[in-house]
Amino acid sequence: MSASWKQLLSQVLLLLVSCRHVNTKTPSPTAPALAPLPTNVSSVVLKGKSHTENIQLLNPVNLTLVCIWTGHQNTAPNITGHWRKDGEEIQSSRRSVQVDSQQYNMTRVFSIDKEENLGNYSCVFGDEAKIDFILAAPQFDEDRDKPIISYVGDSVGLTCKMANPDPNTWTWYKENGTAKELISAEPQRYEIKNTNNHTKLLVHNLTEADSGVFFCGAVFAIHTTMRPVELKVITFMEPLKPFISILVEVVVLVAAILLFERCQSKKKVPAGDGTTADQKNMLPQGDDNASEGSSSMRQRKV
Amino acid sequence: MPPAEVTNLGYTPPDGGWGWAIVFSAFISIGFSYAFPKSLTIYFKEIQEYFSVSYSEIAWVSSVMLASMYAGGPISSILVNRYGSRPVVLVGGLMVCSAMVLASFGTSIIHLYLCVGVIGGFGLAFNLQPALTIIGTYFQVKRPLANGLAMTGSPVVLCTLAPLNQFLFDSFGWRGSFLILGSIVLNCCVAGALMRPVNKRANAKPRNESPKCNGAAEEAAAVDTSTRSANLLTEESQSERKGQSNAHKLIDLSLFKHRGFLIYLAGNVVMFFGFFAPVVFLAPYAKHLGIDEYSAAFLLSIFALVDMFIRPATGFIGNTKWVRPRIQYFFSFAVSYNGVCHLLCPLASGYLGLVVYAVFFGLAFGMLSALLFEVLMDLVGAHRFSSAVGLVTIIECGPVLLGPPLSGALVDIFGDYKYMYYACGVFMLAPGIFFFIMHYYNYKKLDEEQRRSVTVEMRTSEEAVELKMNEDVKTVDEN
Repeated sequence: MSASWKQLLSQVLLLLVSCRHVNTKTPSPTAPALAPLPTNVSSVVLKGKSHTENIQLLNPVNLTLVCIWTGHQNTAPNITGHWRKDGEEIQSSRRSVQVDSQQYNMTRVFSIDKEENLGNYSCVFGDEAKIDFILAAPQFDEDRDKPIISYVGDSVGLTCKMANPDPNTWTWYKENGTAKELISAEPQRYEIKNTNNHTKLLVHNLTEADSGVFFCGAVFAIHTTMRPVELKVITFMEPLKPFISILVEVVVLVAAILLFERCQSKKKVPAGDGTTADQKNMLPQGDDNASEGSSSMRQRKV
Repeated sequence: MPPAEVTNLGYTPPDGGWGWAIVFSAFISIGFSYAFPKSLTIYFKEIQEYFSVSYSEIAWVSSVMLASMYAGGPISSILVNRYGSRPVVLVGGLMVCSAMVLASFGTSIIHLYLCVGVIGGFGLAFNLQPALTIIGTYFQVKRPLANGLAMTGSPVVLCTLAPLNQFLFDSFGWRGSFLILGSIVLNCCVAGALMRPVNKRANAKPRNESPKCNGAAEEAAAVDTSTRSANLLTEESQSERKGQSNAHKLIDLSLFKHRGFLIYLAGNVVMFFGFFAPVVFLAPYAKHLGIDEYSAAFLLSIFALVDMFIRPATGFIGNTKWVRPRIQYFFSFAVSYNGVCHLLCPLASGYLGLVVYAVFFGLAFGMLSALLFEVLMDLVGAHRFSSAVGLVTIIECGPVLLGPPLSGALVDIFGDYKYMYYACGVFMLAPGIFFFIMHYYNYKKLDEEQRRSVTVEMRTSEEAVELKMNEDVKTVDEN
């Protein structure tokens, strides 16, 4: 690595990853004393050993990756190890690794200064053990998989949040075919409101052409992390259809019930002609009052 | 039980037949009234972002809706007294529908307050009161069961609306959802159409033909053994009916002199402070204890499921011949049980403890809800129930609205939920004990009054017999 890179950088992050694992759980002889970090390592894996480590980077850095492996019982004292990036072997990284107090040690410094330098780095011990380091910019934690629905002529706000850390700035893109178009603020059309940890894109005067996928980008020195936000613009006809159908159903039911009642009462009226005189006396009364009055009158007669 | 008020309906309620259609319609109306405001909370987050307002401002929509629903009680009662249940429910359904349709075109949060909050709330009030009132006119013997079944509408409609609202929101956004909800709520009009006014001319009168004198003693005995369908016409009841006839025109304020009504009101006002808060805070309390969001939501589902099944069961138990005559004690027990449940809640540890609490709380809440209006009907009788429920709801408006925010304040001050649960427990246990004592005293007084009225009745019938005998002798002499 050239010395000039070191001078340009204001921060140098030196990451020492010590992979050390003492297998106290399983007595099995094949149980590896693979030395990863004390995270979940499933112990009994018969074929090879591997571990994955996630590293979050905000700014360009010179990163030193250290791999230590304690090896098997039968491992030769001298094995060949190499480094890989995104699955492909890095040129001239193949070294011979000597065992040193029961440890195999591989160390390499990487200059992570561009977006392309992020990725999956691995140290491989012969064909026996592998440790992966996934270098990435901060990612969004929640994924909104459901589209946002809005209406023609209305406005909508599309938001993106990133909890930690705060990005330097935010950008918005609209997907056009396979390309992404940068969105800049336009009066009466696009408005971007940014705060430290969240951004809001307001789109006014929506049309159906605005439907599609928008991308919000959290800009870091090293890389811009994107997240898709889907927008669907519909007309008022869409909800109107179920509305009308339910309305029709209600009107039909109410009409049916009232008609049924009228038919029933019509059937009763011809039967009602045969009622006794007592009941006929009561016919004009509609409320409790008068009926009770008449019944109480009858009682007084007693 | 006050035989004078309860049995003097002047007709025999069908206790079945079309009454079950009425129970179904009341189920729908009551269901929408209680569940609709709660189910709208799904849209709040989106609406909050759309109008760029704070969470408390959007929560006001719910509060205004609830306040309007309770405040609209007396107006609803007046209208029901005047026009009967059916037109009021039809108007109520149309009001809520138009409120939601207008709200879907809303351009500001004030617009939502007015449409969803005020108009929607009043529309729901016009659904709740008439539905409760009409059950009292159709049922007498099976009334607790009918009430229990009708009140089951609330959890059932809530369980239906919650996923439906989520689906509508994903498909149409909040505006389209409000529009479609407006049409869904129009089904309250279908419920209203079913609310045929009861036929008061059916078969009650011929009973009065039976000789009053001989029948009086038997009927007194029948009333004692709690057959509510006997028509015992005493002088006391006649004067009461006269009072009712004037009050029917507007709203019966003489209820404030009614002993049972005052007991009910006093207890309920205190009880409602602690009634809804535990439901509101169940999920947040679970999350506070470290339980994940989905399991916390599942607790609410357990609660709702238990609630759904216990309401008809409570109605059925309330109808049995052992409980019915002393149903006020059953209600007092339900209130006290709620209180005990909340007091013991802080002892629940871990998810399993909370599940047990949710089950017991569901039982308690369901029992209380099923009996809430049945006991009021039992105390004041079906005639005055409409006015009674209107007065009760407007007075309960205060505790219902203040309860959850006060509980929230307790949580914020102490940083712990257990003090809130203790407070709610006390707010329910105290009225429960109050009810037990006051109703014991009330039942004693009522039994005394009934014995007095029976002796008066026997005396008047004896005198009438003597009179008749004298007349007969006179006519014989004259002949």
